[in-house]
Parts: sequence; C-alpha cells; structure tokens
Amino acid sequence: MLALSRLRGPSTALLRRANATLQPSTPAPDIPPPPPAKAKPSPAPAAQEITSDASDSKTQGRRRRRTPIPPKRPGISLAKPREWNRPIGRGVIPAYDLALEVILRDSKYLTHEADALRSEVNALEDKVVELGGWGSERAKEVEAEMEKKREKLKIVEVQSQVNFPDVRWKVDNAMADMTNPVHRHLVEQKWRNDGDLDLLMERLHQMHVIPDVLPDLRPTIDVHVVAHTTIKERLASKKVHTTVEPGTFLLPDQALKKLGYLYLLNNSNQSDVPDEENQSFRTYLHWLKPNIPLSATTQRRIHLDGHTPYIPPHPQQGTSYHRYVLLLLPQPPLGDMTYPLNAEARAEPGVPTSKTLDIPPVEPVERADFDVRAFVQRWGLDTVPGGGAHMWREEWNQRVSKIYRNVLKEPEPRYGRPPKEDPYLEYKQKKRYI
Amino acid sequence: MSTSLLAPCRTRLSFRIGQTVVRTYAAKNEAVGDPKKEIIRKTLYPNNIRSRPTPTGTWRPDVGRALQFAIPSVQAHNTIERAWLLHKRHIRKMREAELGRKFESMRTAMEELRRVDDRLYMEANKQEDPRARIGAERELAKQLKTTEIRTLEARIRGLFPRELRVPTDTPSHSGWNYEWKPFPRPL
Repeated sequence: MLALSRLRGPSTALLRRANATLQPSTPAPDIPPPPPAKAKPSPAPAAQEITSDASDSKTQGRRRRRTPIPPKRPGISLAKPREWNRPIGRGVIPAYDLALEVILRDSKYLTHEADALRSEVNALEDKVVELGGWGSERAKEVEAEMEKKREKLKIVEVQSQVNFPDVRWKVDNAMADMTNPVHRHLVEQKWRNDGDLDLLMERLHQMHVIPDVLPDLRPTIDVHVVAHTTIKERLASKKVHTTVEPGTFLLPDQALKKLGYLYLLNNSNQSDVPDEENQSFRTYLHWLKPNIPLSATTQRRIHLDGHTPYIPPHPQQGTSYHRYVLLLLPQPPLGDMTYPLNAEARAEPGVPTSKTLDIPPVEPVERADFDVRAFVQRWGLDTVPGGGAHMWREEWNQRVSKIYRNVLKEPEPRYGRPPKEDPYLEYKQKKRYI
Repeated sequence: MSTSLLAPCRTRLSFRIGQTVVRTYAAKNEAVGDPKKEIIRKTLYPNNIRSRPTPTGTWRPDVGRALQFAIPSVQAHNTIERAWLLHKRHIRKMREAELGRKFESMRTAMEELRRVDDRLYMEANKQEDPRARIGAERELAKQLKTTEIRTLEARIRGLFPRELRVPTDTPSHSGWNYEWKPFPRPL
C-alpha cells in the first residue's frame, strides 16, 4: 500500500467540506477582506528591521512537532536490572487473573512430578554406583534408563516454569540467567524462532559458504562477532565496538586486531584467495585455536592467543569481495559417541568433558591452501550435531596494502583480467608508407 | 544494513498510516433529497475531511485504537493465550487418555473372548455394512413402494440422518407443516 503524504497548504479551516449540501450544518464564517497593501517599502538597515519584521509579519514561524516525542524508558539489562510487575491490575481483565491461576496450578503439579523424577534419578545413581561405577558393563542398562529419566526431567522442569510471565519477561528484557535451565531454554527458543538463526543460515547458504567450506552445518551455538566501528559509525552512535550482522561488509580496518571476547572463535578462514595455477580460488586460514573450554555459564574473557597467530583479512586488489567464515566446532566427547545428559550432570566446573586434541599450529605455508573438510575429518570434528558459525565479507582498500607491508611482509599482488590481445600490434610496428 | 526476509517479527508495525487519496464517490450517500443532485454535488464538491476509514479499507485509522481497547497489554494477552492453550492441552490429554483406556479395555475383552471361544470371536470381529438391511427392515421392504424403500434406506447406521437440515434464521415461506408424520421404522 502506497502512502502518499499530502502537502498541507495554508490553513484550510475556511474551506473544509463534509458531505457538502445546499445548507451547510455549520455556517461558514465570512471571509475577511484582504489587508490593505503597504504604502512604502522600508529601506532601513537590515539587522534591526529583520527582528521587527519577524514580529510584525504573519509567517508560520518555526514549525514544531505537534506532539512531543515521548521519553524513552531507561534500558534494562543484567547490569541495570528491574523487577517484574503485573502488566495490568487485579480485576481489570478477569481472564488474566484466571490465566495466572491456571498457570500456577499447572506449575505446582509439574514441580511435584519433577521432584518425583529427581528422586528416581538419584535412586538409579546409587544403583549404578553399586553395580560397579560409571561406564562399567553391568551398569549400562541402568545408565540408559537414567538417561531417559533425565531427559524427561529436563522437559518437566522447563515446562513447570516456562509459562510464568515474570520468567518470560526477564528473558525478553536481557536479564536471562544462564545457570537457570528454563532461561537457557527460552533464550535458545528466541534464537531459533525469532529470526537470528534464520538470518545466519540464509546468509551462509546464499553466499554458498555451506557447500564451499563445509558440506553441512547445523549451528547449536549463537556466535556473535564484534568488530571495531568505522569512523562514521563512531560519530553516529559514539560506540567503539559493533556487532556484525552475518554476511555484511566490513572494512579491513575493522578486523585488524582480534578481540578476545566471550564470543568464541576457533577457526577463521577465507574462501576466496585467488589461485593462479588452477585458475580458481582457495581457502586461506587466518586463525586457529583448539581446545577452548566453554560452557553456557562462561563469563570471563578467554585467552585466545597462543596457537596459530592471527593474520588479519587482506582481500587482494582486483578481486571481487572475499568471504570470511568463523567456525566454532565442538570437539568429540570423552568416552561416548554423543554428549549424554548423565555426563552433563556429573560434570564439574573447570573439568572438560571433551577430548583434548593435540592439533599442531598451522605453518604459514599450509595456510594458503587449507582444506577445511580434510582437517575436520582428520580430527573428528563433526559439524552436523552442533557448533557455531558466522561470516562477513570484505573488499580491498588502502589498508590492505599496509597489511601486506607490515604484517605479511610480502609484495602486494594485484589481480586483473589478462590484457586483451592487440591483433594489429605487428602491423602498427611496421612502416605504413614505403 | 539489509534485513532478512525471514524475520518479519522484527519490524515494528505502526498504527499511523499516511493519508492516502480517498475515493469518496464510493462512500454511502446518506443525504436526503434527489439522489442525482446529491451525486453531482458530491462530485463537484467532494468531502475533503479525510478522517474516516476508506470504503475499501486501504486506510484504516481506527484500527489502532480498536486494537488498544481489545488488547491493552501484549504481555497479558500472551499469558492468557498460553494459559488457554495449556487448558485445552489438559482437556485433550484427558480425553486421549480416556479413549486409550476404553480401547485397551475393549482389546483385553476381545483377547479374553478369543481365548474362550473362537467362533464367537470371529462373529464379534465381523465388519457390518451399515447400509445393509437387516431382519425386520428386510421384511418391511418387501411390502413398500420404491420411493418408500429409498426413504427407508436414507438413514445409515452410525451416520447423521440424510434429512438433517441446517437451522435457518427465519422459517420457510411455505409455512409450518402440521400434518408431517415420521416414517415408520422398525428399528
């Protein structure tokens, strides 16, 4: 629907018509006669006259907003928390009070059920210890049964609180507590259903990252990439860092240094380095860091240096945009094929439940033609069960020349189409007139 | 920054829509008097107070206020919606459980019958054709005319009657039939 804005001319109060009839319901006021024309123009100095003219003349004056801009509420977050209050008072909407009663009743029932399940799980744990401990042959059946019970317990626990308006409000207003499984569940639901994951997958597939870098990728981790702001953005928003939307363009200046933030990076590679020999493109590995300890409640900054040093993105001059992919790959679990809930329950803070992989740092020679598929297969990093990914794009600018000079210490290549063959070159060099 | 086509819930819809050109000739003509003259007058001097919704609904300034009255709080609406769906889910689960129990008891009864008597079990498992005439109906059908037989066959066991009519707001033009008598059925 096209909305055309009507230009409001001079005041139309006198010309308003509503269902025009012969006898108007409200008699229109008489149009006053035009004011008499001014006798002489005043040739006085400009400065003083302007002010007096402004007060005398019948201009519109400075146009101000009709309705003032409503003041914005102060932002809520974990740093500035606020308490939940009922959105409407008691008795205003009876259905709301009834709804709260229904939800509370259901929650009590489910809490009771969850407690019963928890005691059953504890009983099974004791039984496992009796039969010979975790992983032993005799205890396998009991462990399988316990796994099923834990899955049910997880669902019942979450459902007992997921309908509470204050819980949902907290998560909606950036006050989710990641130690609480209900909050974690809601955060995951938001990520999956409200469009963030859809956007990421759309960009990954549209830019053909998925068939080019890896055959398949099903993210289970929400990876955020934070980059420095450009000068324009800094002036507009006064912020030094900005979250990168997957698939958008960044300047080479913005990804010069690696920021060791919460949002974890394991493997950053670029898919479009030109390869002259094969007349094709190769993947370049910019950075790699294995064995990052990570859990839902990790808060501190994690030391991300120490393995393969970070080389900033340097898209070559003459090439089209380059795609930069960040992959967060989960390492295989200790002992089992998958991560069971039993292991999750037994896990202690600081003790990893995955295998530690002794991946050697990648040599500069090996970076240039890095085969991601081979690497993933060799070390058993399966992308289908989970992981995280992100991508952005960059194009050449003057900063890339500096990167080549200072960081890579190589002569900067310049790519382009081969020059068109001149069919008249030989003829031009010969004498024309003998 | 481009936005994904897959995230419509991110965009905020505003209730204020810009003023559009209104086709006032399509509005209802309520004025008293010669309709032809009114039409001519309306065409010459159209209504230029654009504050009511357009006839075809291209501009509806009243929607925002109506929605605000209907749903004063989005949070409350979501809570009520969740509670209602939860309630419906409980009812559904109870019905399914009851149906499951009934089915289970029927199944155990049939198992018991099979164990006790094979022939009766086979009889009990026979599928009956609901349209077939049985016993007294067959006797009656021998004496009826073709049209009457059709009326007899109109009602199928287990299915709604063919004569079922949708209730109407007003009675029929032909009036109430006081002489109507139901067709005599033996079963």
